[in-house]
Amino acid sequence: MNGQQIQSKIISMEIDVLKAVRQRTLDQLTEGPFVKEARLFFLLLPFFNGEQWSGKLETSARTVAIVYAALHAHDRVKEDMPISKEQQLTVLAGDFYSGIYYQLLAEGENIEMVQKLATAIIQVSEKKASFHELVIQQPEQVEETAIVIETALLNAFYEENGFSHYKQLMEQSLLYIRYTEELEALRDGKFSYVLRLLSETLTHPTFIERWLIARMETLSNGILESINDCELDFELKNILLHQIIPHRHSAEPLTREG
Amino acid sequence: MEKMKLKLLYSDLKPELELIEKELEQAVDSESLLLNDASLHLLQAGGKRIRPVFVLLAGKFGNYDVELLKRVAVPLELIHMASLVHDDVIDDSEIRRGRPTVKSEWNNSVAMYTGDFILARALERITEIESPRIHDILSKTLIEVCRGEIIQIEHKYRLDQSMRDYLRRIKRKTALLISSSCELGALVSGTDEKTAAHLRRFGYFIGMSFQIIDDILDFTASDQELGKPAGSDFIQGNITLPILYARRDPLIYQMLRENLNQDISDEKRLEIVRTIRTSAAVDEAKRMSERYLEKALKELDYLPKGPATKTMRKIAFFIGKRKF
Repeated sequence: MNGQQIQSKIISMEIDVLKAVRQRTLDQLTEGPFVKEARLFFLLLPFFNGEQWSGKLETSARTVAIVYAALHAHDRVKEDMPISKEQQLTVLAGDFYSGIYYQLLAEGENIEMVQKLATAIIQVSEKKASFHELVIQQPEQVEETAIVIETALLNAFYEENGFSHYKQLMEQSLLYIRYTEELEALRDGKFSYVLRLLSETLTHPTFIERWLIARMETLSNGILESINDCELDFELKNILLHQIIPHRHSAEPLTREG
Repeated sequence: MEKMKLKLLYSDLKPELELIEKELEQAVDSESLLLNDASLHLLQAGGKRIRPVFVLLAGKFGNYDVELLKRVAVPLELIHMASLVHDDVIDDSEIRRGRPTVKSEWNNSVAMYTGDFILARALERITEIESPRIHDILSKTLIEVCRGEIIQIEHKYRLDQSMRDYLRRIKRKTALLISSSCELGALVSGTDEKTAAHLRRFGYFIGMSFQIIDDILDFTASDQELGKPAGSDFIQGNITLPILYARRDPLIYQMLRENLNQDISDEKRLEIVRTIRTSAAVDEAKRMSERYLEKALKELDYLPKGPATKTMRKIAFFIGKRKF
């Protein structure tokens, strides 16, 4: 599968999500469903890599994307102060998307996936709630929190469908991307919950920056190893390393041998 | 007091309801202390538990098995709870059932995660039931409830909306979940299709009546009885049946128009509440509620006579007469 085909499949998934959650008022007055491209890439990775793929799997993948969109909508609700009409509808958009995820899976009689995703949502909600607890988390615990938030839904999909061999690569990559975003936020002086948690033990922005860069270096090496373990083809490796994970510090040009 | 009276009506179900209460507590148990606290905060504020009651009562028309029925009753109540936490964010409500809301005790984000957590627990629980029909009904209900809430926001502050708009909104917002409670209770207990359909319609009509009474009480009950400021619906821009009737008086219409979507004083709020309360609108709204109640009671006539029908009838009467 070449780069163009991969991109067009990702776009097609975005459109499918959009169609599935279409609702006039929400379309007009909210941002609409949003799922990070990297998450969609990993959702479709088994397909890109030639694994057996069916209509049921496609629906299942779509529902995972819809749940990501639901949780993203709720993340956009401002922490304090009375909320605007757009924000009120954003609350309902998240709830509506959750209803659609249940309905799509119920229609396909895929109740096991309903359960798996519900469990993943619980884990994600618990970790997000920890941002608001007065408990100091060590950097390793913060990392665990970030991993669950980024990957629990995808893991539910992988586990349910026998794709667990992609788990490590997916976790390393999504965490790497998350840290890239956190580093950017840190350098721009922006707020993030992860940075706030890290600052409780790493105390100074310079220490946080060093920690993030060190973790990204380790993850970067891990990603290269995992890519080989997953036996991805050349095109797929290239797209992953240069488009999905564009900021890799140690990204080197690939040879045909990988 | 009123809640106690209602509970007396279904005192036969006390052991089952205690079991469901325990299950609800277990369901919101979380690794996160914060989510645990926020969920229990909501749970302990109480509630009429009307959805579990209807699940149990509907179950009496089939093979009554509380172990099976609780698998539907608990998720339905959790779904209702989850929607309440998010509603309080939408409405910026500080108080519910006389207690601070999750969003006011913590913040909007915690309320969002709490709602997501509780809804996910509901879905996790309902998957213990395999029947595709149950999931089909419940998932469609969930979506319709959301649609009702979206329409409610669309219709906010619109004094010129029609009666039909209002009725369609409350159908989705309240009646459908009660209707589904009755239908799902019947189906998991293996009743025949006809019985399940009568129970579904009973739930729908009683749900409509229930919501209309709720909307009336927002003007006729006191702040203390309501556990929130009277007239909150109007303040939040929700145009309910008493307002729709009252607006026909040009003077009241003028007053409503001038104060809608304004930062009004407490004195003004009470004046509006008093005006609606003393107008003919309250009686007219009551009559509308009674019409739904009659329809609900008519559905009961098609069901086998017995203690469950009797209790349903009593609850229906109570809903029509409740004072808060």
